[in-house]
Amino acid sequence: MSTSARLRDRRVNLERRATASRAVRTSLVSLAGLIGGPATNQSGDEVGRVVDVVARLYGTDSYPPVTGLILRIGRRHTFLPAHAVGKVHAGHVRLRTARVDLRDFVRRPGEVLLAKDVLDHQLVDVDGVQVTRAADLYLAPLVDQVVLVGVDVSLPTLLRRLGPRRWQARPTPERVLDWQAVAPFAEQATEGPAEVRLRASRTALHRLRPADLADILEDLGRAERQQLLGWLEPEQAADALEEMEPAELQNLLREAQPEHAARLVDEMEPDEATDALRDLTREEREALLTRMPKGEAAELRRLLTHREGTAGGAMTTLLITARPDETVAEVRGRLAEQHEHRTEIDAVAVVDGADRVLCDIPLFDVAVAEDTTPISDLVTWRAQFGPPDTVGADTSLAEAADQLVAARASSLLVVDDSDRPLGRILADDLLDAMLPERGRLHFRRFLQ
Amino acid sequence: MTRDLDTATAAPQAPAPARRTGWRRITMIAAVAGPGLVAANAGNDAAGIATYASAGSQFTYGTLFFMVLVTVALVMVQEMAVRLGAYTGKGLGALIREQFSLRLTALAVFCLLLANTGLVVSEFAGIGAAFELLGIPKWAVIPPAAVLLWALVLFGSYHWAERIFLIMSLAFFAYPVAMILGHPDWGAVGHHLVVPHMEPNKAFILLAVALIGTTVSPYMQFYAAAGVVDRGAKPADYPLIRADAILGAVFACVISLTIIIATASAIGGTGPLDSAAQAAEALKPVAGRNAELLFALGLLGASALAGAVVPLSASYAIGEAAGVERSVSRSFRDAPLFLGLFTAQIVLGAVVAMTPVDVIQLLIGTQVLQGLISPIVLVYLLVLTNRRSVLGPAANGPRYRIAATAVVVGVAAMSTILLVQTVLGWFGLG
Repeated sequence: MSTSARLRDRRVNLERRATASRAVRTSLVSLAGLIGGPATNQSGDEVGRVVDVVARLYGTDSYPPVTGLILRIGRRHTFLPAHAVGKVHAGHVRLRTARVDLRDFVRRPGEVLLAKDVLDHQLVDVDGVQVTRAADLYLAPLVDQVVLVGVDVSLPTLLRRLGPRRWQARPTPERVLDWQAVAPFAEQATEGPAEVRLRASRTALHRLRPADLADILEDLGRAERQQLLGWLEPEQAADALEEMEPAELQNLLREAQPEHAARLVDEMEPDEATDALRDLTREEREALLTRMPKGEAAELRRLLTHREGTAGGAMTTLLITARPDETVAEVRGRLAEQHEHRTEIDAVAVVDGADRVLCDIPLFDVAVAEDTTPISDLVTWRAQFGPPDTVGADTSLAEAADQLVAARASSLLVVDDSDRPLGRILADDLLDAMLPERGRLHFRRFLQ
Repeated sequence: MTRDLDTATAAPQAPAPARRTGWRRITMIAAVAGPGLVAANAGNDAAGIATYASAGSQFTYGTLFFMVLVTVALVMVQEMAVRLGAYTGKGLGALIREQFSLRLTALAVFCLLLANTGLVVSEFAGIGAAFELLGIPKWAVIPPAAVLLWALVLFGSYHWAERIFLIMSLAFFAYPVAMILGHPDWGAVGHHLVVPHMEPNKAFILLAVALIGTTVSPYMQFYAAAGVVDRGAKPADYPLIRADAILGAVFACVISLTIIIATASAIGGTGPLDSAAQAAEALKPVAGRNAELLFALGLLGASALAGAVVPLSASYAIGEAAGVERSVSRSFRDAPLFLGLFTAQIVLGAVVAMTPVDVIQLLIGTQVLQGLISPIVLVYLLVLTNRRSVLGPAANGPRYRIAATAVVVGVAAMSTILLVQTVLGWFGLG
């Protein structure tokens, strides 16, 4: 391919892109430019000024339809339903009727005022995994209705809005997020019937990984954060909470409704839940524990008796135990049931009749063994490597870490004085405890 | 942060045991004190010391009553800031963006940035002055100091450095001792504390505005509100937070008063301050011949501490208002605004501090700039706290509204008088 041909191709491409972007630009209407613009009747006389645009965010449609406008006519604010709007242009609206019914606006469930509730407020950008603010919203006039198609989050757009009115109406779609990929937080957006709330929870949010969700939760304001938690399934929310910075998590639990917070802590893995509760004051802790199911609360209380910085304080109580007379297949079956806790399990503790630890079998050995092999064979085989690696509940974490390194394992069993297993301390919990400044460059909330 | 507000008292706390995540950077100071205390005492930085010392040397006890008024203003302003933080759970930057038009947001952000850059200038000037006391020229110190601070915050483990700076800045606690050992004329001090005293000349007004600027600097409100938000304080914790803010403000102003009195009794009436060495005179009763060393130590610690926190808090507030990613953990490509602002403030601050002007005049000049800007930021604060839609039942009541408005108007009036005088001065009418 010659250079001139390549240049020509490039020029054609650029032109195509420019045309496409022009086309997009002319078909989009900027909300910021529309607010304050004139509303004219069929003969072109100004009837009033646009104050706000009303849309139903969580309906059945994939893009929220505009359900009406709020106009300022004289000194009154009145609502104009969508069917009375003829055409929405950049910067002004042409009405279909000459008669305007001077009714005051009343919010219907699920409806939001786009300029007041969404523009300039926080929203979650699901693809970019970040919290951002809407710099502008873009409406697309279709044949029979106007829909909200995207959110602009770029800085140039903010600068455009600072400029004179003539600039404001001109869309600048530099970085536009598709409406499907954002979760807005307008407080009224999810009021109303249950299916509206359900739809909100089924937004793109469930595509997020727990760690991403944790980041987002840390960046959100208080009201938004609780709203987002309300949308998530408790299990998904709990996974995200486990990833949060302890201080942030503590704030989040303090500001949530106690019932909700208790539900979330209940869903968390016991070791993480203990950490979270440890950071709260006694009253707050009790408020949550009393609202939890009895069994879980008792277990957490027991874990809380261990001091922080000891193996007991960082262990998880989730244990898979086996007896020597079981077969590998039976144990595998039990492991399969625990698949939601798979991050907490990396070995099977074998105990004798008196519940004393005989051996700790790594999952690898369980995985490669034959189905029919009795566990006792594995115990015998492991015995040649010496006694099982266990630590006492009050062993310091530094000692536990040394032992873990020496054993070349990824977890250690925590046992009581008579060698009964209490829990398991995992390498990642040890890392958490040993690395003081986790995220050395992490400066999220430096103002604490 | 490991301090629970429920069990907190407003008195400084013993540091709690370190958490498994370690302490976040700025948490350090807050571990010893509440956010209100920290925010208010950030005012006693290099420029603050210079301004207070200058007040003492120029007008002896003449500015004391005015400082009392400024204390009242500071208490009210800080209280409003923490109330907003506690009841909304949002920083001031975010609140302004959500409650005002974008243009007004831009104005607030611009004012904050301007005021803060002025502050950063004064911090670097303070670092330079501290080393000059030790006989090292400032052109050899400021550039490496700027690079070091920038790198520490962005890549380093800043919190160790912070502890060192904090301990160094404790040197200024020698002032109350110096005040007592300096045997001021207590009668005159008492008289000036309660009897209003104003001098209608430009020097006094200029210094008065500088006193406002250094005590009620705009960034403090942002800082205090953010500090409260970051602790997840709820409306239920508000009484404690308020106590903390009020006590912090009063405490900071008491320190400021002791600086004025100590300087006044040491070098009062000698006219304007002309060097850091002169300001160090006031510490002679405590440290004798080592007064300059002690002063340099305090100046260096306080300046370096604020030199990192101030630009960072401005970038943070602006990032919050713009709604962009704001964390130093991201690369420049991911968070260009946040890191760009931070870097720009440090660079600009260091460059201006290098200009060969008289350090003390530069320090006071930056505080005058703060004083001129602070009424604008206070208006935002006042409007926000008046709005029931923001604070609900915690919005300002009618009486409080009148008082707060009076404070804002008073601060604005001082700034306006100064502006008018300056403009007249240009035309030779002053």
